[in-house]
Amino acid sequence: MEWECCWLNNEIRPEECPYVAAGEEELYVAHRKRLVEKCLECPSFRKDLNQLSDRDYPMHDVLRYLVDEFIEQRGQLQSLIAFHDSKTREIKFLHELSMVLQTSLDLDEVLSVAMTAITSGKGFGMNRAFLLMADRERQCLKGYLGVGPRNYDEAWRIWSELEQGNYTLKELARHFHKTKISSEKVKFQDILERLTVPYADQLHVFNRALRERKPILVTDAFHNPEVSEDLARILEVDSFLVMPLISRNRRIGVLLADNFVTHRAITTQDLQSMEIFTFPVAFALERASLYEKLQEEIEKQTAANIKLQEQQALIVKMEKMAVVGRITSSIAHSIRNPLMTIGGYARSLMKDVGEVPRKREYLEEIVKEAKRLEDVLEEVLRYSESLYPVMDRWDINQLVRNVCRELSEQLAGRNIELTLDLDPDIPTILLDYKQIAYCLKTILQHIIETQPGVGAIWAATGGDGDGLRVTISDDGATIDDAVKEALITPFTSTQELGIGVGLPLCRIILERHGSTFSIIDRPEGGTAYTFVIPLQREDQ
Amino acid sequence: MTNILVVDDEASIRLLFAQELADEGYAVETVGTIAEAMDKLRASTFDVALLDIKLKNESGLDLLQKIVKERQDMVVILSTAFSCYKDDFSAWLADGYVVKSSDTQELKDEIKRLLAKKRNR
Repeated sequence: MEWECCWLNNEIRPEECPYVAAGEEELYVAHRKRLVEKCLECPSFRKDLNQLSDRDYPMHDVLRYLVDEFIEQRGQLQSLIAFHDSKTREIKFLHELSMVLQTSLDLDEVLSVAMTAITSGKGFGMNRAFLLMADRERQCLKGYLGVGPRNYDEAWRIWSELEQGNYTLKELARHFHKTKISSEKVKFQDILERLTVPYADQLHVFNRALRERKPILVTDAFHNPEVSEDLARILEVDSFLVMPLISRNRRIGVLLADNFVTHRAITTQDLQSMEIFTFPVAFALERASLYEKLQEEIEKQTAANIKLQEQQALIVKMEKMAVVGRITSSIAHSIRNPLMTIGGYARSLMKDVGEVPRKREYLEEIVKEAKRLEDVLEEVLRYSESLYPVMDRWDINQLVRNVCRELSEQLAGRNIELTLDLDPDIPTILLDYKQIAYCLKTILQHIIETQPGVGAIWAATGGDGDGLRVTISDDGATIDDAVKEALITPFTSTQELGIGVGLPLCRIILERHGSTFSIIDRPEGGTAYTFVIPLQREDQ
Repeated sequence: MTNILVVDDEASIRLLFAQELADEGYAVETVGTIAEAMDKLRASTFDVALLDIKLKNESGLDLLQKIVKERQDMVVILSTAFSCYKDDFSAWLADGYVVKSSDTQELKDEIKRLLAKKRNR
């Protein structure tokens, strides 16, 4: 039999077979391999096979079946290998991704990895991705971050950059985290703002995906009755993927992905792959944001602790000083009167003694030494005075006037007009002048230094039941209730206040005086700070 | 003759003031409590009252309040060991203020000054 084809030859020349491609040159000499890989599909081999039929060889049909079956099986095997390869790549990618997601506690790092995974060719290869985060306070999904090109030119530029460097997913994510995360937020600001959706909009596709806990592939968005046309117009794409982020039954947010530039159709395969990916992302996002909150709380607690320790130390010191002051003052007072008597009588005697030698000298010495001791006592008293509280009867109007006069320069410096409205008929009252003056001064300084928009302050006194009322009011902005509480709660610190221990200390001082301290909004605007010092039985 | 009432809970101080002021030519009476002082003030007229702030269980300031309302023509001088009160009181109810001292010259000068001021009123 004359064979047309070269399949029988052990070796062939390159010009004999057009199907051997570059890199496969070994097939010219590898007869068996060439037969299986090339000859079975060669038209010349088919012709030779048909010769068997023409000559009624019964083997012809068997051989044809075997060859066809072989070719089909080989095709199936190749597609299985391709599928296996793609799955292996996917698993490797997901592993790499989950390693980062499992270990990272930084919200921005988690976001960078997630968004890079969706948009990079090494990941899911989508053109753009948007993240909406659940805002529990405002009960809505809020646009948080967008990643990807805004137009074809930018896409081309980004992709050529990526082409040049063969980056791993991790490297891409790191690069994104370091250089691009904030600029991307700004770049998509307009879209992100319009993407916000309230939880109440039950029919919205984002809320539907969260409720049904499964991703939704939106197609034909401009004519899809299940998707609002607005959303299609915002995204400017016909097809996109909505993936819910849920961790431990809590709504974390929603991821959107689309092929804004290439318009490549999103397949069910894309959807399935990304569905697996959203679980670790949701978990990592939740963990990172909880960690962020935890850090903030720890910082606040640490600051509060430091302040608490400082204040405790101050209180202990003040208590000690008060004891020292009380003892010193008591001793000084006991010595003062006898000393004054000794010195006084010596002076008196000096007038009568005339110029009698020695006697005059002795008396002069007594007078001089008594005076010296009196001066020392004066110093000791002055010092001990400052150390412990002295309760005495005072005219509170006078106290208010004195404090206001002290602050007149500060008031003028801020262009604040101060008006006194003092009740002339109130009685004097038992109080520690220095401490109450401190309270009043602190309240006024708090208004002058920390309250915005104050043009006028009123200081008023008057009777109030069984006590005397002092009210300082201003016409500035009203204060938040929470801040009001913080202002007078000892050891509470907020960023806005920055006044330290002032007002809380006032409250403590006033409480020791049996007084209450309140901060309320004035009906006309502004704030009123009021304390009422009770009249003691001996005052009344 | 100018009458002076000295209110102080220390007998030795009362004696010293009485003597020193008498030497200056004043008629001096002394008492140790607020009640005694009120009795004296009701019985006779005084040109000057010298009050100690720290009386045993009482405050000279209570007495001050009572007398300034009724006896506006009387010169009232506070005397105490607390020099720090001076700034606050001088502008307030009393006419004058002296820090207690074995040297009574300041007290004498203050009495003279305030009496002269009162005469010119």
